[in-house]
Amino acid sequence: MNLTPDDDQRAFVTATADWCRDTMPLEDARDRPADLWNQLEAMGLPGITAPEANGGLALDHATEVLVFAELGRHLAPVALPASAVAARWTGTRGKTALAVAASDGLRLLDGDAAQHGLGIFDGRIGHFALPAGLVPGHSLDPSATLVRLSAMPLTETVDDPRAALHLQLLAAAFSVGCADAARDMAVDYAKVREQFERPIGSFQAIKHMCADMAVRAAVARSQLYYAACALDAEDADTTFHVAAAKRLADQAALDNGRANIQIHGGIGMTDEAFPHFCLKRAHLLQFVASVDAAALLAA
Amino acid sequence: MDIGFSPEETHFREECRDWLHANVPAETRPLDAADAIGFDKAWQRQLFDAGWAGINWPTDYGGRGLSIVQQVIWLEEYAKAHAPWIGANFVGINHGGPTLIINASEEQKAYHLPRILTGEAIWCQGFSEPGAGSDLAGIKTRGRIEGDELVVNGSKIWTSFAHVADWQELVLRTEDGSRRHSGLSWVICDMHAPGITVRPIRKMSGQIEFAQVFYDDVRIPLANVVGGLGNGWKVAMSTLSFERGTGFIADQVKQGQEIDDLIATARANGMIGDDRIAHELAQMRAEVAALRAMTYRNISEVVRTGQPGAEASLIRLFTAELGQRLDRMAVALAGPEMLDFAYGDDNAVGDYLRGFAGTIAGGSAQIQRDIIGERLLGLPRSR
Ligand SMILES: Cc1cc2nc3c(=O)[nH]c(=O)nc-3n(C[C@H](O)[C@H](O)[C@H](O)COP(=O)(O)OP(=O)(O)OC[C@H]3O[C@@H](n4cnc5c(N)ncnc54)[C@H](O)[C@@H]3O)c2cc1C
Repeated sequence: MNLTPDDDQRAFVTATADWCRDTMPLEDARDRPADLWNQLEAMGLPGITAPEANGGLALDHATEVLVFAELGRHLAPVALPASAVAARWTGTRGKTALAVAASDGLRLLDGDAAQHGLGIFDGRIGHFALPAGLVPGHSLDPSATLVRLSAMPLTETVDDPRAALHLQLLAAAFSVGCADAARDMAVDYAKVREQFERPIGSFQAIKHMCADMAVRAAVARSQLYYAACALDAEDADTTFHVAAAKRLADQAALDNGRANIQIHGGIGMTDEAFPHFCLKRAHLLQFVASVDAAALLAA
Repeated sequence: MDIGFSPEETHFREECRDWLHANVPAETRPLDAADAIGFDKAWQRQLFDAGWAGINWPTDYGGRGLSIVQQVIWLEEYAKAHAPWIGANFVGINHGGPTLIINASEEQKAYHLPRILTGEAIWCQGFSEPGAGSDLAGIKTRGRIEGDELVVNGSKIWTSFAHVADWQELVLRTEDGSRRHSGLSWVICDMHAPGITVRPIRKMSGQIEFAQVFYDDVRIPLANVVGGLGNGWKVAMSTLSFERGTGFIADQVKQGQEIDDLIATARANGMIGDDRIAHELAQMRAEVAALRAMTYRNISEVVRTGQPGAEASLIRLFTAELGQRLDRMAVALAGPEMLDFAYGDDNAVGDYLRGFAGTIAGGSAQIQRDIIGERLLGLPRSR
């Protein structure tokens, strides 16, 4: 039993974090470099667990979630989890849009320059070729474009249930990163913003909100590690552990996202400041491979 | 990273399970400390004789010298076997002993550690005072130096098991005119010494487990000071790090059992049909799983670096609040049957009433949040 990253994993995470800070800082979430996707592919990031035959690195999910949490912290493109699942399970390569089912059809997220779409339908991964001529518009999350499809495209299903767990796990990793980002942004601000001639972080009402943000992020991250290891080990309770990780990560991202805005005060509500990026990303992820109570109560 | 255990660890787990299966007492542990003391001592002795006391304590002092992972495996199996709460041995085993291992002299260790492990000596913790709880540095109980003795006057309160204890971790002011963190000493106090009066206090659950302790010219040899005169704050902080750190692993594991029992109850009485209850149970089941993952992460960090991660304070706060939500769910599922509670009942209502201690004792939830904010997140001090 070991739930702490080894030296190789640490090095991978640090390299990813450094690269993200230079190439796609959170502050630029709505204005990313045009060739970003090519750079992400050149880093091998969509193929961490994909087989070598498909251009992947064939590493384990434990390594993958560590890296994806880091990517999520910088609000990396949401096509990444979908593309990673596609590379691992469908044999396709290249950018894959993230599909979210709604009662009035599909939402395709981050589909610019993508050939495929992928999402969970009736509990299984389904993937499809994107129709031509889609015109991406805005989504709630300023870092992700959106296209509405009213008719369900012809979908191929991946029968292996681990594929859907994989998407759930990577979405959870993105949420964990998002919760971390909101916590750090709030704490940094609380250290420098002064009112009543002292930093607002010295007021317990603020400090204790920050402490709760730290607890939520740590709880979600711990379960994320456990779930990744469970999927790697094909543990009998993997479905539960991945669902638990997703539930806790989504909640941490949402709750931290809201608290971050409160801690920023008036500027926290502006379009110009960055807290809303985290909140909006959390809302997007909430609809990816979401978990209902029954899944967590099942034996 | 992996969640598997080595063949050696798995074998150890089987040994734990087999022994517990054959030896966990059939009778339940009495609630009042005075009634439970015989039970607690006998059980601790039985654990010691079979080699289950002090699994990761040094072999020189009667421990097994095994790894912290094995300690956790033992505690997991202990909770699964519904083995009794450690009770009056809590202080000695979970923080008195560990404090001595790190800070005490050879003589002090050689005398006290084996007695703690065998259950022969019961310890209590004399930190809090009527005027100083959260603000431990505000304590007033004094020890005046006279020759090679300290002469102690003052009072401690909320001292769990004081009326059945043999020894006490006593923190007092040994330097005249000293303030706050300076001039304090951590002393081994003989609870049978003349001048000590113990007044037991009843809790709202009806149970008598803690007490107020009065010191009237109590003489304690200077040889009983641990970690040096005037260094009491530092030693007390190491006690609290054990109390707040590994001291609660057993509780964390027990919460895993509780949630599944609650889900079974809610299914049996139909209350699972209430969406809010189903939602909260689902949420807590995920949280209980995460708590285990958090504990494993912390233990892995101890193995890797030799110290618990800074995140131990997060675990402490999370465990305490999750425990109370589990307790609240248990009484919600009981419905009006909750009203049948009478002093002496050992049921969900008693657990709920006792469980308020989770966010008060050993540093309140507010103090824990200050610690997380200041020490972990680096926010400016409030005071
Ligand atoms: C069941 C039980 C067993 C105990 N056993 C022992 C024992 O064996 N030995 C021992 O020494 N002590 C023991 N204690 C005492 C325990 O450590 C104290 O109760 C605790 O530290 C709180 O101190 P207090 O009771 O004086 O409350 P106070 O410190 O007066 O706190 C009252 C309220 O004010 C809040 N508060 C205080 N300071 C601050 C602050 N700076 N910021 C925000 N809020 C604040 C607290 O969080 C609390 O809500 C036990 C307590 C309980 C409940």
